[in-house]
Amino acid sequence: MSTVFYYAAIFTVSSMLVSMLSLSRSSSVRQSIPFFVSLAALLLSLTLTLFKMLNYLSAPSPIYTNLFHEDFLAYFFALTVLLVSLFVVLSSRNYMWGERNLAVYFSLLLFSTLGMVLLSFAADLLMIVVAWELMSIPTYVLAGLRKSDPFSNEASVKYFLLGAFSSGILLYAISLTYGLTGTTNLNAVLQNLQQLPNPLDPIAILMLALYIAGFGLKMSVVPFHMWIPDAYEGAPTTISAFLSAGTKKAGFVVAIRVFVVALPFLSVNWTTAFAILALATMTLGNIAALTQRSVSRMLAYSSIAQAGYLLIGFAVASGPAKTLGLIGVLFHVFNHAVMQSAAFLAVAAVDRAIGKVGLDSFASLWRRMPITALSLAVALLALAGIPPLNGFWSKLVLFTAAIQGDMAWLAVAAVLNSALSLGYYAWVIKRMYIDEPTGLGAQSKIREPTLISAVLLIATAITIVVGIYPSLIYDLAKAAVLAYQ
Amino acid sequence: MILEPLVNYLFVSVVLFAIGVYGLVTKKNALRMLFAVEILINSANLNFVAFTRYLHPTSVTGQALAMFSISLAAAEAAVGLAIILAVFRLRKDVDVSEIKGLRG
Repeated sequence: MSTVFYYAAIFTVSSMLVSMLSLSRSSSVRQSIPFFVSLAALLLSLTLTLFKMLNYLSAPSPIYTNLFHEDFLAYFFALTVLLVSLFVVLSSRNYMWGERNLAVYFSLLLFSTLGMVLLSFAADLLMIVVAWELMSIPTYVLAGLRKSDPFSNEASVKYFLLGAFSSGILLYAISLTYGLTGTTNLNAVLQNLQQLPNPLDPIAILMLALYIAGFGLKMSVVPFHMWIPDAYEGAPTTISAFLSAGTKKAGFVVAIRVFVVALPFLSVNWTTAFAILALATMTLGNIAALTQRSVSRMLAYSSIAQAGYLLIGFAVASGPAKTLGLIGVLFHVFNHAVMQSAAFLAVAAVDRAIGKVGLDSFASLWRRMPITALSLAVALLALAGIPPLNGFWSKLVLFTAAIQGDMAWLAVAAVLNSALSLGYYAWVIKRMYIDEPTGLGAQSKIREPTLISAVLLIATAITIVVGIYPSLIYDLAKAAVLAYQ
Repeated sequence: MILEPLVNYLFVSVVLFAIGVYGLVTKKNALRMLFAVEILINSANLNFVAFTRYLHPTSVTGQALAMFSISLAAAEAAVGLAIILAVFRLRKDVDVSEIKGLRG
């Protein structure tokens, strides 16, 4: 039996169960059981993934079916998104405590996670569309879960309109691929495209542009990033972590499958496009982040900037540095998922404990919430790429790939951008550790939410351990990239 | 020439696509934007069916994809209408340009 079937079974059964619990009369059932069921489902599927990965490392055995590729690349991404979901579910126990639709919340979270996992395995455009929607549609609702909060509503409606736009564009691009090649299987697309007389065929160029726009809306590439700050700021903060660290990463795995695996024949067209988009994305993200007054909005822009670094890997993906670039993408995807979810969840802890996330709430946070402040500081330093934290190594791999791929200008721009980004990351850290608090009662210690603190400590530990032994994840990423070449 | 009818279909589909993008970019009413998205998705469906009929008559993938995309569009519209309804209950208005509480 194929592994994908197991994931589908685990998540479908558990989220059906959870959604049925919302009908229960007992409020303790509605509040508690959904959390434990989701936790069990995620732990089970994480165990399954780790088990399969260990098996794969000792004896590589990729399974290719028409709809799914069960290779190491898929397992790597499945591991990343499941880890993010686990963080989010654990933190939601504290953050969403007392909300009315808790069972619905966990059920949608599980469905969206299943969509991301399926997306990591999908190798057919039909499957990609279905998994893409399964991932996206629940998150529209999750962003607007607080129905009486105008900000949550606004985030949801903006996210929904842009998200629906992206799936429409994606469908049109797929219809053009189907017209050109007569198939939707990515391997068959690869073979049939080679018979195309000319890679500069206008329909092929239109198709590429639509793919970039469709995926770019999820991956937060710059001309399509407008919804990101609003959605991340207005949505419940745990959902911002989920969107930024989870669904965005799923966008990257599909982009790897579609561009690098299926469309290398058209790479003349897309490498330059990705190089320019990488430059625009990281520069604009960093500059906009500098001017923000709200920490979650700043993190949203920083998340855009990080997508820019990831795009470097795509820009070099057809040249001599292809392998190194893709290893860099995978490595940074994992690291960014850990750092970004830690940063957002720390903000969620502050939101829950203090009630607002303006910069003032962070003044001398280390006295009030030491664990949260420490984890946020470590996550921000890792995002900025300070050695010896994990973000430094993955950025190093990406920038080296840019130099090897004859795009030294891109590497220089990325290094300058990293230096710029330290400006706003350090500002928050200064706020937490140096600034004196203003206002009454701002000195007193606050009880930190237990589970969020636990998640933050785990994420911090991963950040530091991977920073000291980068080969832990680097080797996995290398195995994943080498597996399908 | 055998491709002649296909070009007609593609022309209609491109026009629908353009209408969809135009509607999304210029309209301010969330409902109108939702309609624009539906038109966009239907232009892709037309493409799928036309390509199968004229270029790949032996394969059914195109029709299957069109069926999937119709049902996905329905799911999306259901969720979208619910979200727009929630916004309307709160503000008595669904004008997206008026919804700007979140600013940097």
